[in-house]
Amino acid sequence: MPELFHRKIERTAIGFVLAIIAAASVGGLVEIAPLFTIHETVEEAPDMRLYTPLELAGRNIYEREGCYACHSQMIRTLRDDVERYGPYSLAVESKYDHPMLWGSKRTGPDLARIGGKYSDLWHVTHLMNPRDVVPESNMPSYRFLARTPLETADFGMQLAAMREVGVPYTDDMIANAARDALGQATPDSDFSAGVVERYGEKTQVSAFDGVATELTEMDALVAYLQVLGRLTDAAYKQTAASEKAPGSQQ
Amino acid sequence: MAVEEIDAATGHATTGHEWNGIKELDIPVPRGVLMFLIITHLFAVIWWFVMPTWPLGTTYTKGLLNTDQRKIVAQKLVEASAERASWSDAISNSSYDEVLSDPRLMDVVKQTGHRLFGDNCAACHGRDGKGGKNYPDLTDHDWIWGGGPEAIAQTITTGVNSSHAESRVSQMPAFGRDEMLDPAQVRTVAAYVHSLGNPTDSTPKTIETIAAGRQVFLTTCAACHGENAKGNSDLGAPNLTDDYWIYGGDLQSIIATIHGGRQGHMPTWDKRLGPLQIKILALYVYSLGLETP
Amino acid sequence: MTELTSSERQYAAVILVVMAMVGVAMAALGRSDPFGVHGVIVLVYSVGLLFLVLSSFYAPEPRTDRQASYYDDPIKVGIALSMAWAVFGMFMGVWIAAQLAWPTLAFDAAWSTFGRLRPTHTTGVIFGFGGNALIATSFHVVQRTSRARLAGQISPWFVLLGFNLFCILAVTGYVMGVTQSKEYAEAEWYADLWLVVVWVTYFILYLRTLARRKEPHIYVANWYYMAFIVVVAILHIVNNLAVPVSIGHAKSYTIWAGVQDAMVQWWYGHNAVAFFLTSGFLGMMYYYLPKRAGRPIFSYRLSILSFWGITFFYMWAGSHHLHYTALPHWVQNLGMTFSVMLLVPSWASAGNALLTLNGAWHKVRDDATLRFMMVAAVFYGLSTFEGSFLAIRPVNSLSHYTDWTIGHVHAGALGWVAFITFGSLYTLVPALWKRDAMHSAALVEVHFWLALAGTLIYVFAMWNSGIIQGLMWRTYTEDGTLAYSFVDSLIAMYPYYIARAFGGLLFLLGALVACYNIWMTARATPLIAGSQLDLPDRRPATGTAPSPAE
Ligand code: HEC
Ligand code: HEC
Ligand code: HEC
Ligand code: HEM
Ligand code: HEM
Ligand SMILES: [Ca+2]
Ligand SMILES: [Ca+2]
Ligand SMILES: [Cu+2]
Repeated sequence: MPELFHRKIERTAIGFVLAIIAAASVGGLVEIAPLFTIHETVEEAPDMRLYTPLELAGRNIYEREGCYACHSQMIRTLRDDVERYGPYSLAVESKYDHPMLWGSKRTGPDLARIGGKYSDLWHVTHLMNPRDVVPESNMPSYRFLARTPLETADFGMQLAAMREVGVPYTDDMIANAARDALGQATPDSDFSAGVVERYGEKTQVSAFDGVATELTEMDALVAYLQVLGRLTDAAYKQTAASEKAPGSQQ
Repeated sequence: MAVEEIDAATGHATTGHEWNGIKELDIPVPRGVLMFLIITHLFAVIWWFVMPTWPLGTTYTKGLLNTDQRKIVAQKLVEASAERASWSDAISNSSYDEVLSDPRLMDVVKQTGHRLFGDNCAACHGRDGKGGKNYPDLTDHDWIWGGGPEAIAQTITTGVNSSHAESRVSQMPAFGRDEMLDPAQVRTVAAYVHSLGNPTDSTPKTIETIAAGRQVFLTTCAACHGENAKGNSDLGAPNLTDDYWIYGGDLQSIIATIHGGRQGHMPTWDKRLGPLQIKILALYVYSLGLETP
Repeated sequence: MTELTSSERQYAAVILVVMAMVGVAMAALGRSDPFGVHGVIVLVYSVGLLFLVLSSFYAPEPRTDRQASYYDDPIKVGIALSMAWAVFGMFMGVWIAAQLAWPTLAFDAAWSTFGRLRPTHTTGVIFGFGGNALIATSFHVVQRTSRARLAGQISPWFVLLGFNLFCILAVTGYVMGVTQSKEYAEAEWYADLWLVVVWVTYFILYLRTLARRKEPHIYVANWYYMAFIVVVAILHIVNNLAVPVSIGHAKSYTIWAGVQDAMVQWWYGHNAVAFFLTSGFLGMMYYYLPKRAGRPIFSYRLSILSFWGITFFYMWAGSHHLHYTALPHWVQNLGMTFSVMLLVPSWASAGNALLTLNGAWHKVRDDATLRFMMVAAVFYGLSTFEGSFLAIRPVNSLSHYTDWTIGHVHAGALGWVAFITFGSLYTLVPALWKRDAMHSAALVEVHFWLALAGTLIYVFAMWNSGIIQGLMWRTYTEDGTLAYSFVDSLIAMYPYYIARAFGGLLFLLGALVACYNIWMTARATPLIAGSQLDLPDRRPATGTAPSPAE
């Protein structure tokens, strides 16, 4: 009789708790641990670059404002997702994301490949008041971003903390973090060459918020939006290799 | 342990325990629940056999079907594009004029174009293509870069001031900010430009300002916008004599344009959209204009 | 206070002084960072409580036989806090619902934008309303079913008030932009650490009280409360592992990255649903429903099956939140199959509850309180069926990212969680304040209908909008191309967003009615005689029917 045994554990609180822990631990262990041991879980992408300090700051603003509450960053392996948003997302694309921002709700469209889709100016106008460009939108307006100066003093510490959790920032990157943030948003300045040198040729240097003279939170957020989906080309290569189908985004 | 007792309402025995008045009946698990248990477990076990499921250290069970979500979607995409071949080949292989004169193909263009435009272009040009502040109206017959389907396709492919290697380039210099003109000159030339579309501006009081502005225009602006100010589509310099304005046609906006310059940025769609989609969009945009008088 | 001896008052004062000092240190380290603001909040909170302790520091000693009675004061405060959070959280819900219909309701400020307010809603209702109700009822149930007083004088207060400090830090953090952006675990590292301290105390208190029990067996309700406490501790600790930028920064980076982070997050997120919103509330149901109905539990063996089924299967299901994503397909399949199997123990619990009402259906008809619990069991069955259905990959391909998920959430959250809570509170409040019934049965009835109407409007609106949205995203023309742009689907949502805000408003009104009714019950109605019987040493009352209110 199973309940005879159960009668016994019902008599000791500690025993019962241990039984609960035993029963509850299995699922997590079986599903999480292998994600670290099965090699193919995260694809190889040698061209994967790191977030620049400015982009990382933008990412932190994206988190702070809760954009993930309305926007996913995960194109699923479904025909309609791929045809609307582009090649499906790969695990490697969020390899440096602490935390990931895949999202669970699309009140607004997916943003996994928004980088380069619109101009900086459009993003600024849209963030200032989405209804100025998309009258049907229910996205909040974020005017304050344009008037809030970006605090860069602790960027070195931010990168160092990211390194603690496993993102390969170099000492050089950490030492120059604040300067690189400024450089990326002020083209033609003395600082901009350094960013490109440290983060790679594909780094975009631009006066993101339209004003090159000062660094605002708008600069950071737009820089982040413009890099989404562009840290690596792996996803494009993967789809090209696996299907060789024309008009895949049709 | 308390004595067993029979619950009056159900006629079943209780388990003999009581907690602050709560008792439990000793009813066995109903048969239905067990059946249900078996069915759901059967479903699970079958699924585990046919699909990838269980981790094994550095690999996992691949399942009898040896399939995977990525293979499945790749397959679906191939099938989808094969399914579209009936019309997509026709559009790809026909000239613009041929498509324009084929009602069946134009139906596809309108439907498909509407969705593509909605997801990619409407953010700037509006859902109806009528543009908005800073973004040109695409239905107004007033083209900066030329309004034939080929020219439109070219604009879509390379964009304007975009990151594309062959991007169209358009630079309206910042005459005021960069001190090529002094503030008074900016104001007079603005007054002149404003008067081009508004003959009523030329009152005796302003006529002098406008004349001065015209001088500035001829020396400074005509190089791009032409002496008659009708624009130059090679340089992307718009016609200033009509009623269509990207950045606003009131005096204040014109002053702002001349003072700060304009470098409209239209992204390139070369990588994001395929040649077929760009062709459809070009035809769609072109047809928007045909529908507007 | 009158229940504490003077040495216990000193002890409490010391704890509060230490907390105040931590607050000062945080304020100093954080300076302009929100971390500093939180230091000030900790300071004010501790000093406020310290003031309360000191104000009755020299009050007379408690009765020497206090151990012979139950410790109910923390429960009363817990109920009050729960209702306060209910109003706050649901007001936030209505506000953000309205923002989706009328976006300008953010009034162009930073703190009031949708993204910042949304977690104040989820935290406010799940942790504030749900958590306080769980703590309060667990204190009540564990004492009554063990016939033992809580194993501590200060620790129940520490657990309750410490937990509320966590909620306050979380919610004030979000409006300032402090968030880890992990759903249902948004609070930052220091609040997370604090919650660990509080939760471990809760666990020890609960276990020690059980150890004191005068009943040989642990009652089912306590199994669930224990599972809730233990597993939430495990989930919370693993999911929140993070490295702060510095000891003076609110900001931290989680140690998990990308796909592994996604799995850990939804292992946590799904089981926050399982062990916070399900286990704990099942514990509530297993006590208050048979109590109110005056009926024995339908089947003890079914209780065993569903308890272990829920505890084991739920932990595998988290990956159903990541169908078709970059999470490997094999994990998704595990999540899907276990979600389907999970339906059996879930329905077994719902069935066990409904069948317990056999022989008491006339009471369900007449008594709105019991009806709250009956409807809760129905919605529990419904939302778990829906959940298992949504966990099937092809179904999820339609529902994921849409309002259908939101509909499912609120079928569970309103129909199950809130209904079972209100039913339990209406049973508990008169018993606790030693009244023979709630102040107004009519108002309970009014609340019931407001809540039911609100829930149905909300859930139907979201089912409609979700399915329409999902279908529009994947509708193809005859030519094999997508038919609608994203904005087309957005435009179709507006009527439903308005309906949802209205349904939510009704539900909020119901909660306000409940507040008033509880307040009046605690304040106005005279004491009844015979309530002294509610003592740990009371002999098992064989033969006498349990009093309907208790
Ligand atoms: C209330 C929900 C909501 C929130 C919060 C929100 N958005 Fe949006 N977002 C939308 C909706 C709806 C759209 C589609 C309509 C539009 O373009 O405005 C959108 C569109 C966008 C787009 C254009 C996407 C495209 O492909 O056209 C971007 C970029 C964007 N949002 C970024 C953000 C950022 C960054 C934040 C946070 C600072 C944010 N959003 C917060 C709802 C939201
Ligand atoms: C980020 C905003 C943006 C998006 C998105 C965008 N455009 Fe444009 N587009 C512009 C701007 C700005 C111009 C004007 C460029 C200039 O100043 O010459 C323009 C110009 C054009 C022109 C030339 C108009 C003329 O008068 O010659 C065409 C045609 C056009 N866009 C079509 C499209 C199509 C089709 C799409 C979608 C695939 C699209 N645009 C998406 C911003 C955008
Ligand atoms: C180097 C070439 C060049 C010169 C010189 C130039 N423009 Fe322009 N102008 C342009 C281009 C290119 C645009 C379109 C910019 C865009 O679309 O972003 C433009 C746009 C404008 C517009 C805005 C039209 C609209 O639809 O909103 C005005 C007004 C204008 N120019 C006036 C002037 C005046 C007045 C001068 C002389 C002081 C001048 N331009 C000199 C190239 C030039
Ligand atoms: C058998 C039981 C259940 C199963 C299998 C289940 C399954 C699911 C599934 C498949 C989703 C959608 C995931 C997605 O597509 O994003 C979901 C979401 C959710 N469910 Fe359930 N559910 C169950 C019961 C419940 C109950 C009782 C509640 C109580 C409140 C609940 C609360 C939630 C919440 C809050 C979410 C949203 C998570 C998010 O933020 O995305 N679920 N559930
Ligand atoms: C007054 C009634 C309520 C209203 C108007 C309301 C409204 C909302 C709104 C508008 C959202 C955001 C949906 C979106 O992003 O599209 C939401 C999310 C949520 N609400 Fe409520 N809510 C109410 C009550 C509750 C209650 C009582 C609970 C829990 C006990 C609850 C739990 C949740 C959860 C868990 C989510 C997150 C869902 C997800 O991420 O998938 N809500 N609510
Ligand atoms: Ca969610
Ligand atoms: Ca947290
Ligand atoms: Cu789940």
